[in-house]
Order: sequence, then structure tokens, then C-alpha cells
Amino acid sequence: MTKISSFMTPLALAFALGMATPAVALADTVVEQARAAGQVGEQADGYLGIKGGASADVKARVDQINIKRRAVYTDLAAKKGASVNDVAGATACELFKTRVAPGEFYRTETGAWVQRKGSEPVKLPPYCPQ
Amino acid sequence: MRSAAVMMGGLTMALGAGLLGGCVKVQAPDKPIEITLNVNIKQEVVYRLEKDVQDLIKSNPGVF
Repeated sequence: MTKISSFMTPLALAFALGMATPAVALADTVVEQARAAGQVGEQADGYLGIKGGASADVKARVDQINIKRRAVYTDLAAKKGASVNDVAGATACELFKTRVAPGEFYRTETGAWVQRKGSEPVKLPPYCPQ
Repeated sequence: MRSAAVMMGGLTMALGAGLLGGCVKVQAPDKPIEITLNVNIKQEVVYRLEKDVQDLIKSNPGVF
């Protein structure tokens, strides 16, 4: 219960902020830099993860992005009659294919952080179309 | 001459097998594989949602 309520408060905050900011927000440059620095990366569960060495500011921004992701996943899941985890996982497949640049880190379904080296493809989770 | 050819063939095969042996050598991880992320998804669901999630990413540049 504590978990849900502590999550719902920032979620409600995100909705409020969402209304105050332009509809199409651009990618957070601080988070983009953290990705390039190997502090932040895409996870197999469809959310951004903190690998390590990230500042409190970066962590807060990642939290904000994940709250927004959770909201759009929930919205699509309701439209498609799927679970939020299904939508999040399906999105992770796409993000792994398109959003992990060479040198950046991603977190597999086993919880391990892996660096994409050179031009080698990202190893997709088993539930992704290979 | 013939035996030399056979020997060469045998040598090549042995070398090939040696290289192949090196290629397919699989070492078991010393630690058990831990599943820490909450992902238990069926591939058919991912196929069904593929187009929708592609659109979702495109239409939310600040989130992805």
C-alpha cells in the first residue's frame, strides 16, 4: 500500500506537470548525456535503469521519465486489452533495437548490464521478435 | 604420394576439428542465472503490439 501511494503521488504530479508543459516534449539532454556516459540505460522491462555513478539530478529525471512511460504504457494497455507489463516489454524490444547506441549499456531480462560494443547488435530478450 | 595426400587430409581435418572445438566451447556460468526484472511475456503478444509500440515511441519523444 505504501508502495502504491508513494508511486501514485509522483504520477499525479507528472500529470499536473504534463498539462503545464508543451504536448511534445523533447528528449531530456541530461539523461541523454548520462546514457552516453554509461550511467543510464534501457532495461528489458521497458523502463530506464540507473547503472551507477548517476547524480541525484539524473536519478530524479529518470524517475520522471519512467513515471511518464508507465502512464503511456497503461494508456495503450487499456486500448489494446493487454497488460501494462506486456506493453512495456513489447516497447523494450523496440527500444533495444533502436535506442541503444554503440558504447551504451542496456540491462537484459536477467538483470545484467551489457555494453553494446562497436556495431554488434543488441541482444534481444527471448520474447522479442528476433 | 597418395599416402602423403591422405596424411595432409587427415592433418587438415584434425586442424579443422581443433578450430571447431575452440569455436563451440561453451563454459557454464559459475553463478546461477538470476531473473531480477519482472518480465514474463509471450512472443505472440509482442507481435500483436509491435506496430502500436512503434507509434508510441514516435509520438512520445520526451519519454523514450
